[in-house]
This record gives sequence, structure tokens and C-alpha cells, in this order.
Amino acid sequence: MSVSSASAPVPGSKAIAATALRNAGLIDRDAPMRDATDTPGGRKGKLRSGRTSARISDLTKDRPMSNGTRMHPIRLSASTGSSDSISIRGAARPSALGGRIRRNAVSGTGSVGSASQIPVRISTKPKAVEAWRELVQKRYNAEAKYLNLDSMIDDEVVKKYNLTPPGFGGNARDAAVIFKLASQLKPEVQTLSLANNNLTGVLLTQMHKYLPGLVNLSLQNNKLKEKREVSMISPRKEKMPNLRELVLTGNPLRENAIKNGQYAVYRSDVVRRFAALEVLDQEPVSQISFDAPHASTSDLPVEKPSATTFPFPMGPSFVAGIDGATFSDFLVRYFNALDSQRETLVNAYDPAATFSFSVNTTIPTRAKLSGFHTSMPNQRKLIWGDWLEVGSRNLNRIGSDPEKMLSNLHIGSDKIIETLVKLPRTNHDINGSGEKFCIDAYPVPHSGSMALLTTVHGEFTEPSTGGIRSFDRTFMLVPAPEGSRAKLNGWNVVILSDQWIIRCYSSHEAWKAGPLLVQALPKQEPFTINSLPADQQTALASLPEAQRNLVVQVCAQTKLNARFAVDCLAGNEWDLTRAIANFNQVKDSLAPDAFL
Amino acid sequence: MTSSLLTPSDIEIATRAADHFTRIYYAAYDSDKRLAELPHFYRPTSSLTWNGKPFTGTEGLLQLVVKMPPTKHEVQSFDCHPIPGAQPPSLLVTVSGSVTHGRGPTGNPPKTPVREIEGHPRVFSQTFILVPDTTAPTKVGEVAKYYVGADALRFVG
Repeated sequence: MSVSSASAPVPGSKAIAATALRNAGLIDRDAPMRDATDTPGGRKGKLRSGRTSARISDLTKDRPMSNGTRMHPIRLSASTGSSDSISIRGAARPSALGGRIRRNAVSGTGSVGSASQIPVRISTKPKAVEAWRELVQKRYNAEAKYLNLDSMIDDEVVKKYNLTPPGFGGNARDAAVIFKLASQLKPEVQTLSLANNNLTGVLLTQMHKYLPGLVNLSLQNNKLKEKREVSMISPRKEKMPNLRELVLTGNPLRENAIKNGQYAVYRSDVVRRFAALEVLDQEPVSQISFDAPHASTSDLPVEKPSATTFPFPMGPSFVAGIDGATFSDFLVRYFNALDSQRETLVNAYDPAATFSFSVNTTIPTRAKLSGFHTSMPNQRKLIWGDWLEVGSRNLNRIGSDPEKMLSNLHIGSDKIIETLVKLPRTNHDINGSGEKFCIDAYPVPHSGSMALLTTVHGEFTEPSTGGIRSFDRTFMLVPAPEGSRAKLNGWNVVILSDQWIIRCYSSHEAWKAGPLLVQALPKQEPFTINSLPADQQTALASLPEAQRNLVVQVCAQTKLNARFAVDCLAGNEWDLTRAIANFNQVKDSLAPDAFL
Repeated sequence: MTSSLLTPSDIEIATRAADHFTRIYYAAYDSDKRLAELPHFYRPTSSLTWNGKPFTGTEGLLQLVVKMPPTKHEVQSFDCHPIPGAQPPSLLVTVSGSVTHGRGPTGNPPKTPVREIEGHPRVFSQTFILVPDTTAPTKVGEVAKYYVGADALRFVG
């Protein structure tokens, strides 16, 4: 299948869809796609083959329109790629269909990169939408889930209705119309080619919203020039999580990078902007993959999560696979040194160890509801800047900044200490009440041996302000090798990796062992005489207070009304325990009107 | 102990993997198809703790989540290191965020006091060790296929 544009041929280039389809074994190399435009008696064959001559012949004769009118498109075709060709469409006959679809547009499609567009248009009228729908539908290969929108400017439908494709006068809204129509195709589009359309990033900002399931995308031979245009296509929040393959060949962004010897930087810049890209410009991307859920298994009916209670309560600290004394020695020594003599921690880290800290500045909902920020005396004095200036590695924030991603990860014990000493002073009250810390630790395989995955949750005071912060700390610990610097300095375990999350204060009540609630419990009003209906309250007024109180207790426990409660107590010599026991024997035989 | 230093490429690949992983993992957890989707990330040898309660393997994971209320996670911070020592390296991923269970505050009974914390999102802290599956076939460009070797979660706020 040839996808090279007539106006900007790129030798040897292939559409991404072709790659994807070949990989999937769906088409043979260079096999033509099924032409959805085939009509009985109409042109047959490849979508593109022979289109130049067909188009020229189209241009030279009047075409009957569906509404019976005829129009005379004036078109000097750019299809031969000559640099001085322009196309002027729809300018002539406002009374014809074209005039209603759009107003004047003059598009220069000649020399690549100097396309001057002077779109003068009002809105996408319903008929234009229908015309675009026709184009989108005929270009869709449903079997292959492949929507081929290559070179829209050359399409019969575009010419017939004098449409202005995005990149040739059409704006981002027109592009959005096309993406929306594409989103209505069944089955869902997986592969989209937008090759040879003069597109810039701003025209593609809506694509990810309408086509979130795209797996393969070709933007070959378009006008993407800046990195930020890639961000427009794939915004940071979503990052087109399903996109596996992307082609940017023939865009200035890529070609200039190659020219300037920046190809590797270009690749890394682009790849970083997509969550799961596997192939860029037909070259595989080095990446780690996961056994993510597959469509086939996901289609099986499964039980939806519907529980209204937690299956397990909050448990106490869980420590397994290490001698308790060794472990607590390590933790006490580590946090004491962190608070008082950070330099001495150099021996607690493996020479190749990794360390970073991340700041989560989000104010926790429950802490906010509890009012800690105002009720605790020094919380307002805390400032994140003291931490952030040392270099937080919260990848949610800095993920697209390659320099920070590298420089905020500290490798080697010396580098780690250099960073630790720059961070604000801390005071961990590890000798105080244990409830303020929560530790989970268990062995995990590592490099043919075992390591101890250790997580510590707790709080520390910043002595400079007296304010309190919460933290989560994860250590990978291994036994200190005999003769190592750690061992010689009395550390029996040594840190291989260390990640420290610093966040706004939350109470240690969060990990207090016991039942966990999903929703708040209904508020139970204490049962008093006032809980009874007014007439029953009046009826009880004549009883001595001691007996009245007993009646209220029976009502509270049995939900009997006052009259039956009095009868029940009277029949049991005003003994509460006997009355309740008696009630339990007969309750099933009582009439509903015995109850409140 | 090896002292082979990590290359920028190792770090970049690890970072991207963690980004991808946290997206698809919590999307699967929060999905109606949680029971079908989440087990893919685990292996029979995986170790888990959930608020101090240990579980083992894919079976253990299912035992844990089958009766877990519906969830909605929000990742507020995450970090990832290649763990020094092996090639391809295992990854240590830590996540800090909030998680709402059930229907959230709107699911609380009528007349629940405004200061009541139950029903509101909790802060969670979750640590994963992502381990290369050396037996799994890989496609071109794939360093390896990774699975969750260990997963330690706590509600911390």
C-alpha cells in the first residue's frame, strides 16, 4: 500500500497502519487496502491508485450533485507536486452547495512549509458535517479498525463538497468534527493515519478526547515543529495511554532534530510524552512492559466491585524475615542519626545505593476536616519551599523534565549524604510512643539472594518551626557484607534503595488497628423518655421516677411501646433483667401494635 | 555487592515504566473489571501486605480484592528507582495519593456531621517492587515484561 503523498512524497516511508497491520498478519506487504468507496460500476481498486488521473478528469467536467444542482469547482491541482500550484475551491458559486457549506478559502499547498492559508469561513454547517461523515465512513476499514485519513485534500468528497480539511483552511473545530465522526465508527478505531495533511499540533488537540483508544497513529508528513505540539496531542494528564505506535517521520520536529544531530533527544522528548509508546517512527522504543489487562480477557463478564464493608480490619505493623533486635537497632540508629548527625549515615548506604525524596503537597481531606492545620500550634509556619528547593522527585510533577528526573535521583552513598544534609532538620520521636509509627517489612528476592522490603510511616517535627509533617519511607535493606564499610561501622544491614515521601500531617489514627469503615455510621441518638411519642410520655408521667426510668430502658432495648413495656415490667416484679428475658421468650408472638 | 552504576537510559526507562504502571494499575483497580484485570499484574510468587495483613500470589490478591468496596484512587506523587544489583533491574516504585472507597461522602447517612471523616478519601501509601519476568517472551524494544513482585499498602491519613 502506498501512502506517499502526491504533493510531498517521502521515499521509502510507510504508514504506521501498514506496519501495524502487517505485524498483526492482517495484510500482506504492499497489499492494497480494501477500498470502501467502491460502488457498483464505479472505480475499483486501491484507494489511491489512479487517483491523479481520476481527479483531473473530475475537475474538467461538471459533476451532478445530489440536490440536482451543478457546480463548477475551480481547481488548479497540487497533485503533481509542482511548487507553484494552488487550489482555490468553493469561491465561485455561493448559490451552489459549496457556498452553503463554506465560504471562500484559498489554500496554498505548494511548497512544503510555506503554506499560507487564508481561511474565510463562518461555521461548519450541518451539510458539511454530513459530507465529512461520508468521507470518514468511506475511508474506514472496519475489519482492520483502520481509519485512513491520508491526504484529505485530495479526496473526491472534499472536492465534491468544497470542504476545507484541517491544515488546508480548516481549523481545530473542523478537525474536532472529523475526530468526533471517527469516534462514532464501529468497531472503535484502533489505527489512524493522518499522513500528508499539513497538520500542526493545535489542530490535533481534540483527537485524544474523541479517540482515546487509538493504538497506532501516523502523522507522517505534517507540520509538527515544536515539542509542545506533541504535548497538545498527548496532554500530560492522560498521555494517550493506549497508543503503542506513532509515526512523525516527515515533520520538521523530527527532520530538524536529525539535521542538528539531536535525534536521540528528539526520540526521548517524544517518547516521554506518551504513557506506553512501543514504536516511534518504526523504531522500537526501549521500554518495560506489563501484563496489562487484555481486551480479550476484559470482555469476559466479571463481578463488579460492590462490597460496602472492608474485607479485613486495619492490622498492626507486620514484620517478617528479620531478627527483631537487628531491625529495631537499625531503625533507631538510622532515625537518630538522621535527626542529629546525617553525615554519619554515609556508612548506612551501599556504595551504589539510590535515594530520592518526593514531596506530596496535597492537603489530605481527613486532616482538613479534623482541622489540624489550625488546631496544632505550628502547622502554619511550615513551608514546602525548604524541601522543594533541594529537588523533589515527585514524578507526577517533574516527569516531563528529563534533567530533574536524573538530577533528583541520587546514586552512591556520598551523593546521598550530600543531599540529606541539605534537607530541613527533622526530629523523629522514635523513642516515644510507638503508635506514631507503623512499620511493614518482609523479605523479597533480590539478585539471587534476599532483601528486606521495609516501609515506615510516621511523623517528624521540623525543629525550625515546630510544625509536624507526615512521611512514608521505603528502604530496600540487605545484610551488610563482611568487611564492608557498613559492617566495619556497626551496621548489620545496609540500604540499597531509599525513597522518602514527605506530606502534609495526617494523624496516626489512620493506622490504628481495628475495624475500618467505608461510610460513616448512622448517628445513634441516645434513647430517652423524649424519644417516645408525646401521648406515651404523658401516660408515664404518673409513674414514680424509678419505674419510669425502667420503662424507658425496656423501650430502648425492646422497642416495645410504653404500655407494653409497663405490662412487661409489672408482670416481672419491675426487674429489668427478668423483663427483658421474658420479652425475648414471647417477642415473636407479640402483635405489631405492641411496638413503637 | 555490585557497584555497577545505573545509566541515564536505565533511569529514563524506569521512570517511564513507573508512569505507565501507575496509570494502568490504578485504572484496573478502580475499574468495574477489577477482578479480571488486576490479577494480570501479579504472579504466584508475589508477596503482598494490605494494612499489615499478608497475602501470597495471584490467589492472595484475589482473596484480598474480591470483597473490596469500589475504589477511586488519585495518584498525587510517585517515584521510581531501578534497584541496583541486577540487569535488567527490578524497580522500586512508591506511590502517595488518596483513595475513596464506596460512595464517598455522598454515601454517608443523612445528618452525618460535616466534620465526620468517615466516607471521605483516605491517604494511601503503596510500595511496589516490579520484577522482570525472565521467562516471558518480549517484543522488539521491550527490555522485559515486568510483574508485581511485592506490594505493600497502608492507609496513612
